[in-house]
Amino acid sequence: MMSVLKHFAEYDRRIVYLALFLVVTIMLMTPIGLPISVSPSTMQYYDVLEALGPDDRILAVLNTEFSGYMEIQSGIIASIRVMVEKEAKICIAVAHPEATGIPELVLSAIKSTMDEHQYTYGEDYVVLGYVFPNEASVASAAQDWHGAIHNDFYGNSIEGTFLDEINDWSDWTLISDYTTGIQTTALINHFGLRGAPMIVNGIGVEISILAPYLDTGIYKALLQSMRGGAELEYLTGHPGPGMTAMDAFTIGHYLMILLIVIGNIGYFGYTRNAGRNVE
Amino acid sequence: MIDTVELSIMVVGCFLSMCMFSTLYGKSSPLYSLAEESYIGFATGLSIVMNLMYIYNTGFVGIMGGDWVLIFGFILGVMALFRVYTKYSYVSRLPIAISLGAQLGLALRTQIYSGFIDQIKATILPLLSGDAKAIVYNWTIFLCVILMLSFFFYTIEQKGSIGVSAKIGEYLMYASFGAIFAQTFMGRLSLLVGTIQNFTVPPWKKPILIACMAIVLAALIALDKLNLLEKLTPEE
Repeated sequence: MMSVLKHFAEYDRRIVYLALFLVVTIMLMTPIGLPISVSPSTMQYYDVLEALGPDDRILAVLNTEFSGYMEIQSGIIASIRVMVEKEAKICIAVAHPEATGIPELVLSAIKSTMDEHQYTYGEDYVVLGYVFPNEASVASAAQDWHGAIHNDFYGNSIEGTFLDEINDWSDWTLISDYTTGIQTTALINHFGLRGAPMIVNGIGVEISILAPYLDTGIYKALLQSMRGGAELEYLTGHPGPGMTAMDAFTIGHYLMILLIVIGNIGYFGYTRNAGRNVE
Repeated sequence: MIDTVELSIMVVGCFLSMCMFSTLYGKSSPLYSLAEESYIGFATGLSIVMNLMYIYNTGFVGIMGGDWVLIFGFILGVMALFRVYTKYSYVSRLPIAISLGAQLGLALRTQIYSGFIDQIKATILPLLSGDAKAIVYNWTIFLCVILMLSFFFYTIEQKGSIGVSAKIGEYLMYASFGAIFAQTFMGRLSLLVGTIQNFTVPPWKKPILIACMAIVLAALIALDKLNLLEKLTPEE
């Protein structure tokens, strides 16, 4: 009995990583379709998107590295799909060099929706590329848009696009931030604080940092990690990467709970007793 | 029909990712080093190109459009490069000081509101009006803030009612740390799921994932048997 407890207390941490890796891989290869529920925060986020219309202009900021995109891609794709369905005008900006390839992935994922709503580059959407490397760039774009940004990602002038209607922060209907935390504080300080409505889709580790801004009213809604993205996909009726990942996500959490229980049994059954015996 | 470029990206990405996971084997691995250094190389190259593009699009295009003040940005940028030349490295202090000062000024002006005053204002809530859910929510915030703040009353001896309040505040903080840990785990698991999902959806990618896993595992075992794992791993 003691040897089992000792094993529970002292097993190699790489076993945890390996078990998680195997569980996630197996569940992604053979999904079983576990049900998901929609949280109130996702409902709130969905309501903000649902209220958009053809006259609205949205600044979608990809505040993420490529690794972070893997976590929030479902939220990004589902959100921008709704914006297209509402026929709002979308400007996609990037705050990390690694994210410059992401707009193309997102737009190709929603190509059929864009074709259906006859989205035209320049008139309905613009991809800016890497334009927010630091807080100063965000601040200047908020204050004087055309003084800070001249070209799109493809090197063409933004003159003649729907961005002609943008002069400063007040001309945006919505700032939609997809973040691992890079220029999020700058966006809050130079757009949100001035009064531009903001919504955010953050990675898991950022949620506790972002949530207080919901209470202050700077964020209108918060979409939480991949789980929130899956819920949004469910609400919009377009299953995507979020929903297909939920089995692995759920079973991964169950495995972690099991490992925490095992670790605690080991701690109370062996480590703590061993400590007491020494005393 | 699978695009050749997409297939190549998938194969290289999947193989390098599995090489990254070779760290789970428990020994130094040249495959891990290959993936790690490839990533650093790719990321650095991309970063340089994107930053040069940013300088062109924001700086050169701006100057050509008549915004002459941007020339000072270029001059300061060139001055910053003197940092690598020991004899004249002092020249770089000016642009560094200007950029640090500007960043600090921008952040301070706004951070006081978004990170401090607005957060305090958000805890000043109506405790008696609104629906039942709002009242419970507001009371929870109000009580938790008071109880947790009492834990930080270091100028008063924590005994009696202050002691009880501080103790409850301490446990409330443990509960919030637990929630933060859970969110952190959720985030890390999402990253893992997202990464692996990239190699399993659409289904044509699955055999490539299995093949890469098998190749990397076989290579690790073979190198281990031949005692080459340590020898072939570059030193830090």
